[in-house]
Amino acid sequence: MKSEPTTLLQGTLDLLILKSLIAGERHGLGISRRIQQITGGTFVVKPGSLFPALHRMEEEGWISSFWGESENNRRAKYYRLTKAGTKQLQAETKRWGRISWAIAQALEAS
Amino acid sequence: MPLLVKVGSFLRNYFFSRRVDADLDQEVHSHLELLVAENIRAGMAPEEAQRAARIEFGGIEQVKEQVREAGVGNWLHSVFADCRYGLRQLRKNPGATAVMVFTLALAIGATTAIFSVVYGVLLRPLPYTDANRIMAVFEVNTKGTWSHLADPNFDDFRDQNRSFQAIAKYNQDVVSVSGPSQPTRNMVAGVSPDFLKVFEIQPMLGRDFTASDAKKGAARTVLVSYGYWRQYLGSSPDLSQSHLKIDGALYSVIGVLPAAFPFPADVDLWLPADLDGENPSRTSHNYYAVARLRDGVTVEQANQDISAIARRIHDTSSEQSDFLLKDGVVVPLQDSITGKARPALLVLLGAVGFLLLVACANVANLLLAQATARERELAIRSALGAARGRLIRQFLTEAFLLSLVGGGLGVLGALWGVTGLVALAPQNLPRLDSVSINIPVLVFAFLLSTAVAVGLGAFTAARATSGDVRKGLGEGGRGQTGSQGSQRVGRVIVAAQIAITLILVVGAGLLGRSLMKVLEVNPGFRVDKIIAMDVSLPWEGWDNPKAKASQAIFFSNLIDRLKQIPGVRRVGAASGLPLVEGGLPNGMFLLASQNEVPKTIADDLAAMFQQKERVGIADFCVATEGYFQVLGIPLIRGRTFDQHDGPDSPHVAVISESLARDRWPNQDPIGHTIEFGNMDGDMRLLTIVGIVGDIHEYGLDAPPRPTVYVNLFQRPRSAITLTMLSDADTRSVTSAARGILQDLNPEIPAKFRTFSQVYSASLGSRRFNVILTGFFGIVALLLATAGVFGVMAYSVSRRTREIGVRVALGAGSGDVLRMILSQGLRTIFIGVAIGIAGSLALTRTVESLLFGVTATDPLTFGGVTLLLVGAALLACFIPARRATKVDPMVALRYE
Repeated sequence: MKSEPTTLLQGTLDLLILKSLIAGERHGLGISRRIQQITGGTFVVKPGSLFPALHRMEEEGWISSFWGESENNRRAKYYRLTKAGTKQLQAETKRWGRISWAIAQALEAS
Repeated sequence: MPLLVKVGSFLRNYFFSRRVDADLDQEVHSHLELLVAENIRAGMAPEEAQRAARIEFGGIEQVKEQVREAGVGNWLHSVFADCRYGLRQLRKNPGATAVMVFTLALAIGATTAIFSVVYGVLLRPLPYTDANRIMAVFEVNTKGTWSHLADPNFDDFRDQNRSFQAIAKYNQDVVSVSGPSQPTRNMVAGVSPDFLKVFEIQPMLGRDFTASDAKKGAARTVLVSYGYWRQYLGSSPDLSQSHLKIDGALYSVIGVLPAAFPFPADVDLWLPADLDGENPSRTSHNYYAVARLRDGVTVEQANQDISAIARRIHDTSSEQSDFLLKDGVVVPLQDSITGKARPALLVLLGAVGFLLLVACANVANLLLAQATARERELAIRSALGAARGRLIRQFLTEAFLLSLVGGGLGVLGALWGVTGLVALAPQNLPRLDSVSINIPVLVFAFLLSTAVAVGLGAFTAARATSGDVRKGLGEGGRGQTGSQGSQRVGRVIVAAQIAITLILVVGAGLLGRSLMKVLEVNPGFRVDKIIAMDVSLPWEGWDNPKAKASQAIFFSNLIDRLKQIPGVRRVGAASGLPLVEGGLPNGMFLLASQNEVPKTIADDLAAMFQQKERVGIADFCVATEGYFQVLGIPLIRGRTFDQHDGPDSPHVAVISESLARDRWPNQDPIGHTIEFGNMDGDMRLLTIVGIVGDIHEYGLDAPPRPTVYVNLFQRPRSAITLTMLSDADTRSVTSAARGILQDLNPEIPAKFRTFSQVYSASLGSRRFNVILTGFFGIVALLLATAGVFGVMAYSVSRRTREIGVRVALGAGSGDVLRMILSQGLRTIFIGVAIGIAGSLALTRTVESLLFGVTATDPLTFGGVTLLLVGAALLACFIPARRATKVDPMVALRYE
């Protein structure tokens, strides 16, 4: 398991977590693995970043949590998107689109 | 909706913190299990899988801590946790905590108490609308001193200035008032009609003065204070029937001023000035002036304006003399009221600030010693996930707890201290009644405590968390290497403490020596066993020979009757007592012979005053023969007054020794004649018949002033102070005298006091400064001594092993003693050297308060240095002695 020294931009982690939950509820490790998967292994979210972010986002009301059974019958805490979270995801996506377009423009300029 | 969720989380985090924590713990552990399961699925052996999972996860406690810190309301939660933890820490060392809290309470309390006086006297705005726009206006004379205004000069200032929206003059006098009740002596102010407009005050009842009330010969009107109205006029809402007899003339009360109008201080009645016409002289300075700046005009502009008018007057006036104004000056009224008190109060504030620094240094040293002992604890906390910021916050929290508890106790102490300060403060300290513990003072105390907390907390936190905290774990609690640095810091603190204490004690010493020097001054008069009685007859004008004759008879009868009181040995009378605020009037007299008596004041006299060689300046005192006897003022030559000096015989004068020496050098002044009519309107010549000793009438610390005494029975006046030399009980003499006065004229009130009270009051401000700085100095000295002791004792206990080794290797107890003492001495000498340098630089600020000693008085510097070194050495000696008792066997097994 290699970890690229890519630091997450402020807000990017939130965006990635929201995105990873779009297909349904996941537990912490599931979210972490999903992010790793959808970013092609670029981002490995360590528990030290993941848990504070999850709890913060839950307190913001973007995600909610419940205890459930994991795939191999273990108790695990699951997270899912709330309505506010879906809205936040759209907003963040738009914002990210603008930023990446702007950065791309900046880099293309000679 | 998200807001509701947030509030919900906050409440949950706050009230169900244990459940939230358990939940987090479970979540983290299930995550770890999932990781392990994943690894096992990937083919690892169970132990290998465990290990890899732990490595990937990182520190469990750290992750949990990070989650907690991200939580809503965590901030508040952790503050409470810090407080709880801090309190537990403070309780663990109850002795040290008590000492620190007490030290801080003492220092913060003392600083708060002094600040309350500084605030009440110097800073608190005067209680008027836009009080900072109210100015005092003065003339400046040729010597550069500020003086009152002469009538024509005031009129010119009023009519020509472009800076003031209102300007008014006023003076103060004590008069007899009768009418509604018993005769009383009240303070009155004679004011020009715009007086209340300057303060933007309206009478709460009735009307203000108008211009026509102030015209010469107008119907007599008076405004009364709220207190007077309540006490003597029965709070009557109808003033039309209220009349007061003031100095014999009937006045109609036209208005009542609001309750809180304290200007001039202690005045009950305000009358229009100059109902008998203005004094046309430009050199008779009888009035103060106040003015309100026009909008947009600065103090600077007003100064230029008034200065220009004053110089124009100076250049064009026909009355050229040393008494004619040369310039004019405008200062904020508040500054002019409190200006004299300012230097002493600032010195006291500085002194108490130094005390605070010394106290903080002690507390810092105690905290430092504790922090060293806590290195292990810090290391464990940081291993368990506490960030450095969190540890620093812990120290700050503890410092806050200490300072706020100390500050709270200090404020309680200050409540009590301020009462004491006000009682102790000199009576002439202006605005003493506005000194209290009020909101701004409490804010100051809170900010001060906060500043102390931040200072102490930041200091200990910086010391304790610097370097690698992990070392604390490895060191196994011996803490020997780590403490080297903090011991050095401790010694630096102690040196600073000694330096500051030295400065403070030197300052107190200089003030104390000054007081002693003042007390050594021979005042030139007796103080004990003298009862003074102020009596004021109605003022009947300057030029009323019949009234003056009856005044003379009245006082003569009064003196004869007072002499018969049992126990009263002698009775005298004079226009003013020495050492009383205000003092005697002074002016220019003229050396003139019998055949030169000027016929017209305006022409001849003015011409004669131009001849410098025949002019002298002196204070003017109306007295009786008995006055010299009661006060014990010695007759140097000639005679004082006697019964032959009647109103119709040649008028005589007695002069003071210094006047004789300065005005008639190498001559005998006895037999010379002088003219001093500008003091009492009597142009008859005075023949000098005697010379008496000098007295320090303006205070023991002021040089004697040349004085001319004239005979009360030749130059009567309405207001005098009787002096009775009595062996009897003060109260019985006082009531007997009051009865005699009642008997002679029931409408005349009297005021009594003993001359010792006057004498004591004249030293009030010096005593106040000495007591306070002395107290601060002693406390600082004790604190600094304790600081030295603490650091040395700590150092010795830390070096027990090393000393044990030295003794085992053959060092004698003398060697050990010398080693410890020399270490202490180095610190002490550095502190003393810095302190002396600091004192040399700083005592200049108290120079204006000194008397008879210079700011660099070697005796004070030497004495204080010896005292301080002695106390500090003693503090070193006790731990050093303990070091010599170290048993090498015990020391080597130590720990």
